[in-house]
Amino acid sequence: MKNKPILIAALLLLAGCYPGGADFAEDTDVVYTNYDETYDFASKGTFAMPDEIVVDAEVEDGDVTIEYMPDIFADPLLEQIESNMEALGYTRVDIEDNPDLLLTPAGIKSTTFFYSYWYDWWYGCYYGCGWGWYYPPYYTVSSYTTGTLLMVLTDPSQGEDSPINQSKVLWLGAANGIMSGAYDVNRATKAIDQAFKQSPYLQTN
Amino acid sequence: MKKILFILFFTCASATLFAQSNTVISFPIGLPMGDINTYIGKPSFRGINFDYRHHVNPNLALGVNVSWHVFYEELASDTYTAGTETLTGKQYRYSNHVPMAATVSYFLSPDADIMPFVSLGIGTMYSRRNTNMNLYTLEEEAWNFLLQPEVGVQKVVENVGLHLSAKFNYGFKAGDELTEAQSFLAINVGFTFH
Repeated sequence: MKNKPILIAALLLLAGCYPGGADFAEDTDVVYTNYDETYDFASKGTFAMPDEIVVDAEVEDGDVTIEYMPDIFADPLLEQIESNMEALGYTRVDIEDNPDLLLTPAGIKSTTFFYSYWYDWWYGCYYGCGWGWYYPPYYTVSSYTTGTLLMVLTDPSQGEDSPINQSKVLWLGAANGIMSGAYDVNRATKAIDQAFKQSPYLQTN
Repeated sequence: MKKILFILFFTCASATLFAQSNTVISFPIGLPMGDINTYIGKPSFRGINFDYRHHVNPNLALGVNVSWHVFYEELASDTYTAGTETLTGKQYRYSNHVPMAATVSYFLSPDADIMPFVSLGIGTMYSRRNTNMNLYTLEEEAWNFLLQPEVGVQKVVENVGLHLSAKFNYGFKAGDELTEAQSFLAINVGFTFH
């Protein structure tokens, strides 16, 4: 098939025409925030948060096993969250000290698998001429993993107003991006800063 | 896809068989206008343009045009707010346009060394806008009614020549996804086969 290289070259040329997009894992980083606009953040002053970041929870026979992020990764993130909250005017207190707000961080990892395949074409003449393809086609399996850091602010006193003793989410900050093998803590701390920066309504007195 | 290639091949092949035809393959430089310009401010150097014209007489030709243009811009990380929701991140913007038109062309002096011509195309344009953030894309499509005036010159030596033209693609407002008219100017530089 004499034209095949030309055809492939033409297709590659057209594919080469198409502009790039994201080049690095960081390019996929997004920070999302949402809040309850009826809640009066300005009248609050204290918050409590845990010393660990939950990354997974398994429920087995009604028992919940919680998995935490290793301290070496979690500590810089928790420090960043705390300093941002303090910069907004809040004071960190212990959970027993009746805090106005609770900040709960969590990390979620999710892996998506996808596969692609292509056929190798042939053209030949044995018993008559025709097109065909070699069997089996080639398959490639790839995957990408995205990581999400969640920060949730709730008011524990609202639990009493709820029939199931849960308080509403007052503020949600979510940072998501493709995880790279580098475990670059800067990407996460930058995302935390951005989440607070784009939420000026959290400012308290 | 194979069918399209065959059609293209026979269109090009037949072009060399009939003396009174004029086939153009050119590379367009797209200058965004109106709504596309608001969305992507940069000119496009990506695309390809095919014209086939059949001469009714030395001055007048009827033909078809199909081309593909893609505008692209990478935006630095920015913050977008809607209601209480705020999203920050890099944005990758793509605007694809495939105009398809039936054309009427008039060659002002067909025997001259450099042949000027004017042309008008009427047809449809497929427009697709993709806004990518994170791993998601917001896709907006439209099939616009297309008006396509063109002015240009051809310099032909024997059967092959150079082609230079300015083609204005105006796709009228269509559908509820892309709510504005889609228009751009394409400067075509390429070859003509007679």
